[in-house]
Amino acid sequence: MNERAPAAAAQPFFLPATAGQRFCLYYAPAGAGCRGAVLYVHPFADEMNKSRRMAALQARALAALGYAVLQVDLYGCGDSSGEFVDARWDIWKDDLARASAWLDSKVDAPLILWGLRLGALLALDYARDAARKPARMLLWQPVHGGAACLTQFLRLLSANAMLAEAGKAAPEKTGGTAALKASLLDGQSLEVAGYELASELAAAIEQLDAAGMAPQGCQVHWLEAVAAAERPLSPAVERQAAHWRAQGTALQLERVVCPPFWTTQEITVSDALLGATTTIFAA
Amino acid sequence: MYLNDIKTILIDVLSLGDAGLSLDANSALLGSITELDSMAVVNLMTALEEHFGITIDDDEISASTFETLGSLDAFVQQKLA
Repeated sequence: MNERAPAAAAQPFFLPATAGQRFCLYYAPAGAGCRGAVLYVHPFADEMNKSRRMAALQARALAALGYAVLQVDLYGCGDSSGEFVDARWDIWKDDLARASAWLDSKVDAPLILWGLRLGALLALDYARDAARKPARMLLWQPVHGGAACLTQFLRLLSANAMLAEAGKAAPEKTGGTAALKASLLDGQSLEVAGYELASELAAAIEQLDAAGMAPQGCQVHWLEAVAAAERPLSPAVERQAAHWRAQGTALQLERVVCPPFWTTQEITVSDALLGATTTIFAA
Repeated sequence: MYLNDIKTILIDVLSLGDAGLSLDANSALLGSITELDSMAVVNLMTALEEHFGITIDDDEISASTFETLGSLDAFVQQKLA
């Protein structure tokens, strides 16, 4: 690592894409040559904001190791064109295709897809029919099922309703998450915690399942957060990993003691996750 | 019975730090801990589900579930019973 010059600051720019442009941050690789072209896929809604710092720190660390890193705000997210309600799963996949092509024009190096939470599921789905296949994938706490992810997101509304009822003598029952999801999938957009979610996007997320997305022909590094060193991986994670391996995925699954920085109240940094990731990519 | 586990999860989810160590079964949660907003309730539910391997339906919980650390513990005990 020492022979390389310190990484330069990130270069912001706008990438032309469907219905406007996408805000991008490019971290040029330190030193001569490029070990890989890393494309970061951010998580969903507020998790994107919560994890911005971790993404930036890891991007810088990878650039210092000699990797080119591109972060792109997907359509309707961050500083890119469009409102959240306009966002569609297929536009996001197209955003990744354009970002991947941009990286390819910039550096001559194998593609590495790096996704966090729902961003990992998007990266997996994109990799299945991408024109340019990734050589490696880095998955941070990947979401396995779109349906459960959507339910969790909609819970924000039912939790709000619950808090509003607190203190009342005879609380009314609200529709609950299942009813909210039904109306959303029926064509109604729904505002949750400041994000207006379109029915089309919800329907696309609802049917995603990582089980059917076993990555082929690339090395997968899956880092899963646990609360303490003695905590095992959840049965759901073990099941998913076994399923992928049975389908021939070259999978390295690692447990990292790491707070859920993508949801924590305060912006949180996990040195353990940064360190584990950097170790993998320094090798 | 699961009080310490739940307390640890609560401290983690709400980033309470050392301030959370003094919590006990009678500690009031909703309305007393300002960090416990709707986002935090959702995160807490998810963390409890993942930790205890349970699935929580909206119908099963109400504001009273989150009244005290003890009421939350009682809820988890009933889920695991």
